[in-house]
Amino acid sequence: MGALKILLDGANRNRTLFVLLAGFALFPIYTGIADLPFWNDLAMRIMILGMAAMGLNLVLGYGGMVSFGHAAFVGVGAYCVGISQYYGLYNGWIHIIMALGACGALGLAIGYLSLRTSGIYFIMITLAFAQMLFFLFVSLEQFGGDDGMSIDRAEFIIIDLWEPLRLYYLIWAALTLSSILLMFIVRSRFGVVLQAIKGNESRVEAMGLAPLPFKITGYVISAMICGLAGALFASWQEYVSPDIMHWTRSGELMIIIILGGLGTLSGPLLGAVVFLLLEEILPELMHVVAPNYAENWMIIFGPILIAVVLFARGGLMGLVQRVTGGRT
Amino acid sequence: MTITLLLEQMFNGLQSGVTLFLIAAGLTLILGIMDFVFLAHGAQVMIGAYAAASLTALTGNFFLGILLAIPITFASGFLLEFLLIRHLYRRDHMDQVLATFGLILFFNELIRIGFGPAALFSDLPKALSGFVNILPEAPYPMFRLVVILVGLACAIGIHVLVSHTRVGAMVRAGANNEAMTAALGINIRLLRRFVFAVGACFAGVAGMMIGPLTAVEPGMGEPLLILSLVVIIIGGIGSVRGAFVAAVLVGMVDTMGRVLLPVILRSFMGQAAADGAGPALASMMVYILMSLILVFRPTGLFSPKG
Repeated sequence: MGALKILLDGANRNRTLFVLLAGFALFPIYTGIADLPFWNDLAMRIMILGMAAMGLNLVLGYGGMVSFGHAAFVGVGAYCVGISQYYGLYNGWIHIIMALGACGALGLAIGYLSLRTSGIYFIMITLAFAQMLFFLFVSLEQFGGDDGMSIDRAEFIIIDLWEPLRLYYLIWAALTLSSILLMFIVRSRFGVVLQAIKGNESRVEAMGLAPLPFKITGYVISAMICGLAGALFASWQEYVSPDIMHWTRSGELMIIIILGGLGTLSGPLLGAVVFLLLEEILPELMHVVAPNYAENWMIIFGPILIAVVLFARGGLMGLVQRVTGGRT
Repeated sequence: MTITLLLEQMFNGLQSGVTLFLIAAGLTLILGIMDFVFLAHGAQVMIGAYAAASLTALTGNFFLGILLAIPITFASGFLLEFLLIRHLYRRDHMDQVLATFGLILFFNELIRIGFGPAALFSDLPKALSGFVNILPEAPYPMFRLVVILVGLACAIGIHVLVSHTRVGAMVRAGANNEAMTAALGINIRLLRRFVFAVGACFAGVAGMMIGPLTAVEPGMGEPLLILSLVVIIIGGIGSVRGAFVAAVLVGMVDTMGRVLLPVILRSFMGQAAADGAGPALASMMVYILMSLILVFRPTGLFSPKG
């Protein structure tokens, strides 16, 4: 099959994803007319977190490797921007290349060491590496330590990021490219083997394939996508601190994926949209219904997550499939 | 660095170790027997701490407060299992992660609504607030010593319960092979609820004991949850004995690292830099320890399934 044919077929099979991408592409037109620049900001945050979640989903959802430390890669990607700027390097393309390189190398090292274990031990050892990196950056006083460092928007040759919508579309383009890349990966021979390993590792071995190289490769790709998301996050937030790689951030990425639907292309982005929208909307809603408890919106948010587990098997994508009769 | 200070820090390490053990003991059984990823175990610590603090304030008596709070923590574990957890045993681990993460948010917010976002501080009764000499001229806070003793007593209690009673034999059998245990006619459902409630109870006791030492606040349980996960991984999932050894090891390494590392760093970098980097690098020690142990023993020190 030609690449275009695969692309069209993939778009047809993952309509939710492409509807969301189209929605994000058109969203600034709406916010421009309605004069709601804040919502552009939120949309950028959703796209960046969605991209990181998609990257994690390659190992978590498709490969069955529950990594509890992917926020570390997002953080390293973000610090690549911060540290380059500290040394006077402002070219955004170089930042991105550095983030991809650093996270690829780190993903290779962490993946190689962690993938000797499996199950809950793997979850905890990935957490351990992430915690080590977290405390490493806390201890680096030169780069702000605990307080973090502020960042100027990077200079991209051709694209001047001070024009707000340019950053928006740069993020959108990165998200779209990652989505398409992941779509090809999942359908490739490599992706099929990765999913087979999740299903039954010994059978894959019995067929004469060594699972470890596939798992490590998947881990590296997913780390690099998270690194890219981190580099964009630093440009968006104009600030980076170790908080970005705290273990609760890794947890948040996992929650977004499970909420959206494990092992689906659309799930992580849909999860990010719903997760972050609820974070914005619930306080407003509480403000109307019970003004005294507007700050306590998590009292609703927690049970919503539990309800998704109890009543929507397969997360939100499971719900979408049921409503549309099997389409994703 | 004097011997007295070192001894004092070793006691602090032991104190944090036994506290961690009380949290980890229940968690290792929940993970080991029920194969259930229970992230809200930290919330049980918080519930215990709040129950004790508020009942102490209400009754005006610290000991009465603790005594009344223990049944509350037992009941909260029992009810939680009955209302929600039992519906999730057959589900994917990831579903359990999402649901129990939702529980964390819910409990933290519930406490915030009930008691306000600020930390509670409770005064110790006079009998527990003094110092005792552990060595001649080495005073040590009375309460921390009591925590160590209560922790050790609980550890012995858990050991006897697990290793020398009929219920304990069922629990161990369940940790080893649940289907076989059920086939032998053991009511595995009731056993699960019991383990859950007792685990919640011990986590609650841990919360009651660290309450007066640190701040009692919403979200206090989550850092402890992560540390106790480290403990049960080092000890081997499902092994109570392993959890004890690992908890004391983690408590010691963490405490001693915090004291010794800045001193060591100061010998080859500036005072300010060492004081800045020391605590952060000390926090890393526990994770380095866990990674090293997993390299040599990939299923922990005392894995019951190994």
